[in-house]
Amino acid sequence: MFDLFSDIFTYRDNALTRIDPRVKLLIALAALIAVVTAERIVLPLAVFTFCLGAVAILRIPAKLVACRLAAPLSIVAVLVVIQTFVTGKTPLFAFTFAGWQFTAKAEGFRQGTLLGAHVLGAVSVVFLLSIVTPAHRIFQALRWFRISRNWLEIAILMYRYIFVLMDRVADLAAAQKLRLGYTARGRALRSFTTLAGATIIHSLEQAQRTHDAMRLRGYRGTMPFGPLPAVSGRDLRILSLCLIAIAAARLLEWGMSG
Amino acid sequence: MKAIEVTGVHFTYDDGTEALSGVDFHVSEGEFVAILGSNGSGKTTLIGLLVGLLKPKTGRIMIGGRAIGELSTEELYQRVGLVFQNPNDQLFAATVEEDCAFGPRNLNLPEAEVQERVTEALDAVAALPLRGRAIHHLSFGEQKRVSLAGVMAMRPSVLILDEPTAGLDPAGEAQMMQLLKKLNREEGLTVILATHSVDMLPLFANRIYVLDHGRVLQEGPSEEIFCHQEMIVRAKLRLPYVSRLMYEMKRHDGVPIDGLPLTIGEARVRLLELIPKELIIAELEEKKA
Repeated sequence: MFDLFSDIFTYRDNALTRIDPRVKLLIALAALIAVVTAERIVLPLAVFTFCLGAVAILRIPAKLVACRLAAPLSIVAVLVVIQTFVTGKTPLFAFTFAGWQFTAKAEGFRQGTLLGAHVLGAVSVVFLLSIVTPAHRIFQALRWFRISRNWLEIAILMYRYIFVLMDRVADLAAAQKLRLGYTARGRALRSFTTLAGATIIHSLEQAQRTHDAMRLRGYRGTMPFGPLPAVSGRDLRILSLCLIAIAAARLLEWGMSG
Repeated sequence: MKAIEVTGVHFTYDDGTEALSGVDFHVSEGEFVAILGSNGSGKTTLIGLLVGLLKPKTGRIMIGGRAIGELSTEELYQRVGLVFQNPNDQLFAATVEEDCAFGPRNLNLPEAEVQERVTEALDAVAALPLRGRAIHHLSFGEQKRVSLAGVMAMRPSVLILDEPTAGLDPAGEAQMMQLLKKLNREEGLTVILATHSVDMLPLFANRIYVLDHGRVLQEGPSEEIFCHQEMIVRAKLRLPYVSRLMYEMKRHDGVPIDGLPLTIGEARVRLLELIPKELIIAELEEKKA
C-alpha cells in the first residue's frame, strides 16, 4: 500500500523531473486525448511501451511498477474477457463450463482489446507523469491553468493527510493484529469495521486540528499559492516537439483506420 | 510591558468539564515562561484561550495591552504564534517551503518578502537545507522544527509551544530547547511553553506556572517552585532527576548539600564543595603539573 503512494522518485534529478510541470501536464493531456480517441490498438500500445521504456530508463523499481499497474492490468483483463464473451456475433471458439455454454466472439475480442489498450495507454501516461512530477508541482501547474481553488485545496489536503492517515491505520491495524483481531473471519470483520470507524473519527479530529492550525496562520477560506516562473525556451521547444509528435502519430493512426 | 495578561479566567467545556477556574497568568515581554502541569491540568485549554481558539466563560485576556476580542485575527496572529504538539496537525502543505510561506502569503505580502521570511524562519530553526523537501519525507524532529519555522514566518512577538519536546529523542529535545533559548535570549521573543517535562525547565525558564485541575497552584522562578515538594507531588509532577538525587542524599544519607540544586551544573558545584580536595584527581594532577 505504501509503495503505491510513494513519491520519492519525483524528487530525483533527471531530464524529465527538470521539465516545467505545466509543460508535462499539457503533454500528458495531449497523449491522453490521443490514446482514448484511438480507433486501433497500435497507438495506445505504442504509448504504453514508450512510457514503460522511460520508466525503465529512469530505473524505477519493477516492484513499484508492478504494484501501480496491478489494478489497471486487472481491469484490462476483465474488460477483454467480458467484451469477448458478451459482445459480437462471429464465433471464435466455444466451451462448456458447469453446464453453461460460453462463446467467444471476434468483434467482442477486438472491442475488448481496444478498450484494454486505451486503459493501458492512459494509465501509463499518468503513471509516468506521477513519477517525474511531485504532486505539489502538479497542483501549482493546475492552479496556473485556473483550475478551481477549492478543488485544488481539497486535493492538496487529501494528498498531505493520506500519508498521515495511512500511518495511523497501519498502527491501528498492527495493534489489532497483535491482539489477535484477525484470527477468525467474524473477528476479522469486526476488527476491520472498527478500524474503518476509528479512521473516520481520526480524520474528523485531524480536520478540526488542521483547520485550527490554518486559522492561526491567517487562513480565511482560500489557500494561497506561490507563483510559477515563466516557462523556459527549452521547455517550450520540448512542448512543441511532443505535441507535434503526438498529433502526427494520431493522424497517422487515423489514416490507417480510414 | 505585559505581553500577555490573563485575569480571573474560567472555562468550561460543553460537556460540563470545568477546565480552568479563576486562572491569573501574566507574561512580560522577552520572558521565557513555562506552564507546568500533568495531563488534564488545563495547559492546552489555557493555550487555546491565549490564541483565541477558545473563549473564556468569564475573565479577561489582554494581548500587548489590548483585550483579545478587540484584535483582528491578522493582528492577533502576528503577535501570538502557536506551535502545536503534533507537527502533523500543523504541517498541511506538500513541501517545507510552501508550508512556511502559508502564513506570510495569507498576509498578502509581496512574494519577495514571503521568500525572505521563509528563508529567515528556516534559518532560525536550522532547517534551511530542508526547504525543498516534502513534509511527509521529514523525520519527526525535522517536522517539529519546520512547524516552528511556519509560525516564525508570521514574525510573532510571543511564541507559544504545546509540549515542544514531546516525542523527541534526547538529542532532539536538547536541540529544540537550545533553539527556543536562542530565540528568546538573542531574538528577544517571548516564549511560553506548556509541558510536563521538568528536567530542562530550570535551565531555560525565567518563571514557571504550576497548573493542576484548572487552577494555578504556584508561580515563580524554578528555585522557588521546586522547593515546594508537597505542591509538586500534589500537581502529579516530580523534581528534576538531579534534584531528586540531591534531595534523597540529604534526606536519607545526611549529606550536607547546600540548597536544592536543579541542574547538573549546580549539583556538580555543590558536590565538589563537599568532597575533600585531596580526593579530586583533576586537582591533584593540576598541582603535580
